Amino acid sequence: MIKKLSLALSFVVFALSAHAQDELSLQLNGFVDSYHALQLQSPHKIMSSRTRLRLEMRADYGEASLFSSVNLAYNGIIEKQTGAFLREAYFDYAGKYLEVKAGRQIVTWGVADGLRITDLISPMDYTEFMANDYDDIRVPVNAINLKFPGESFSAEVVFVPVPDYFVIPTSDDNPWQMPVPDGMRMDLSGTPAKHIKNSEVGGRFRFFLENLDFSLTALRTFNKSPVTIASFDPEAKSAVIKGVYEPMNVVGGDVSIPAGELVIRGEVAVYFGEPIALKNSMDYWFRKSFNGLIGIDWYAGNNWTVMAQYMHKVIMDYRDVLGTEQNTSMITARISKEVLNNTLKFSVYGMFDVDNVGFYVRPAADYLLSDQITLSLGADWLGGRRGTFKTYKKNTQIWVKGKYFF
Amino acid sequence: MKIAKTAAMLVVALCTMSVAQPSARDIMIKVKDRPDGDTRSSSMEMKLVNKSGNTRVRKITSYAMDVGADTKTIMFFLYPNDVKGTGFLTVNYDDVNKEDDKWLYLPALKKTRRISGKSSKTDYFMGSDFTYDDIGKRNVDEDTHKLVREENANGHDYWVIESTPKKSGEIFSKKLIWIRKDCDVVEKVEFYDKLGKLHRQMVSSDIKKVDGFWTVGKMEMKNVQTGHSTELLFLDPKYNIQLDSKIFTVNKLERGL
Repeated sequence: MIKKLSLALSFVVFALSAHAQDELSLQLNGFVDSYHALQLQSPHKIMSSRTRLRLEMRADYGEASLFSSVNLAYNGIIEKQTGAFLREAYFDYAGKYLEVKAGRQIVTWGVADGLRITDLISPMDYTEFMANDYDDIRVPVNAINLKFPGESFSAEVVFVPVPDYFVIPTSDDNPWQMPVPDGMRMDLSGTPAKHIKNSEVGGRFRFFLENLDFSLTALRTFNKSPVTIASFDPEAKSAVIKGVYEPMNVVGGDVSIPAGELVIRGEVAVYFGEPIALKNSMDYWFRKSFNGLIGIDWYAGNNWTVMAQYMHKVIMDYRDVLGTEQNTSMITARISKEVLNNTLKFSVYGMFDVDNVGFYVRPAADYLLSDQITLSLGADWLGGRRGTFKTYKKNTQIWVKGKYFF
Repeated sequence: MKIAKTAAMLVVALCTMSVAQPSARDIMIKVKDRPDGDTRSSSMEMKLVNKSGNTRVRKITSYAMDVGADTKTIMFFLYPNDVKGTGFLTVNYDDVNKEDDKWLYLPALKKTRRISGKSSKTDYFMGSDFTYDDIGKRNVDEDTHKLVREENANGHDYWVIESTPKKSGEIFSKKLIWIRKDCDVVEKVEFYDKLGKLHRQMVSSDIKKVDGFWTVGKMEMKNVQTGHSTELLFLDPKYNIQLDSKIFTVNKLERGL
């Protein structure tokens, strides 16, 4: 796939340069990074050890451009993560009244920090759960994005013929493997068939005004994080946990309002026909849910930044047989401070699962050794009474990372 | 006799007018309103040097357009590569009571953030010794101005003005500004901290006319307390260029150059 794409890109670049050598600009950038993590509790396993080369190639010709980014990775822990992986590859054209972006791309909607209310098109890669940079967690999708660019208004339509879904850690060699009960296995292969009726389409209107930004969105999508139900596999004669993906419609919007040193952010969405697993884990029902988030960014000056968010979900027409609480909520906070002329940055990001009393905390220190080299040291601390964060309590780890940009 | 008296009064009045000084605020308004075209662009190269002599480099390209008394500016970071593609869009309002509109695009997150128009003004820009306020257009009426003295040095006449911020929360308690009388260009600024000690010193050089407009080619800001300094070079400045107003939009910020 990568070879084909590289050849195609090379051909287009050659063709463009043959026609107009002086108007074509080519750029090659990227980075090399190496990341290693150690489990804090006994048996102090190496949780991650990976090194990669990221290559980003861009060719501009007038208002058109081609962009591709590729990861060449070696992973010492998870075998399937070693190799060449295409991340983004798209064609982009910016006309006066229409912009077109077609190909594999990351689509980002909404104003939330690390949480998803309307930002549902590019799913999440949880191969190492959340112990990764946020931009690495986002999964690119094959999409066509058409946009009308106005001065204080824009309108866009996104069409994804074959949607992508959450990457859930299931391989045995992955320390972040989702645990399944003994004698059972997990089967997440039941993603919707590649058919036009299973495509994804959405639209967004954005407004940028004095002291106010807001957008309105509508999306026909799927629950990309699978609902899991237990069933029996007659062929293997064993119980299996199956992932279920169903279409659903989403209507929502977001808002950002600066107020002095603060910026207040909000995001809301109604999910129509969201599948919810039952308590007995044998089936699921469709329900309408209301999802909302409010956040505050405080630019406190002196290179301090403080961000806090509260997210709430309500399942409408609730019944006790449903396997999820009617009201669930999450709190996140991010604090950062830069010192030594912005060469050293201390930050901490935390998530608190209110209903399960679970937490995830990621403190980090990033030091810019030079314009090209960044060294980072950090930790992922997980725990709580119930829920996913408690499940991963044993994975609490410290990590180091080096990154060289070129 | 009456005519002679009137003539004498007129002569005195004319003499008084010829030596009357503009007020400090008027001088600062002249500096702010110094002709710089309706649109402009330039590339900037910042060299950040710490006390040990280690150097870091930042490269930026920027475009600006005046809309009435307000100014729209968009800048893109070109180097180093970890921040390449980062964009910053500002609508700077002339009205002192209106906060600026600001947006920051972060390419790693592929996301635009609306940011506070108030606070970042006092933060240092990209790890340099210049604050966002220093490189932007600070409103004249955010400070109280006093003409301290006039000076002649290096073959030029200067007004020396002391500016004191009206609001608390600024990182300086006062600044002394040397303004060249012949071109209304700020050539030197001394920033004093809250304790009244000299904190930073800025010197402009390579002052010349480009396309008929007085232009600063180089600014150097030194933090005398830490020994850290920043050299800011303005390369290839252009004035009154053809710019589409759609350049100054969030959409352009996200697309990049």
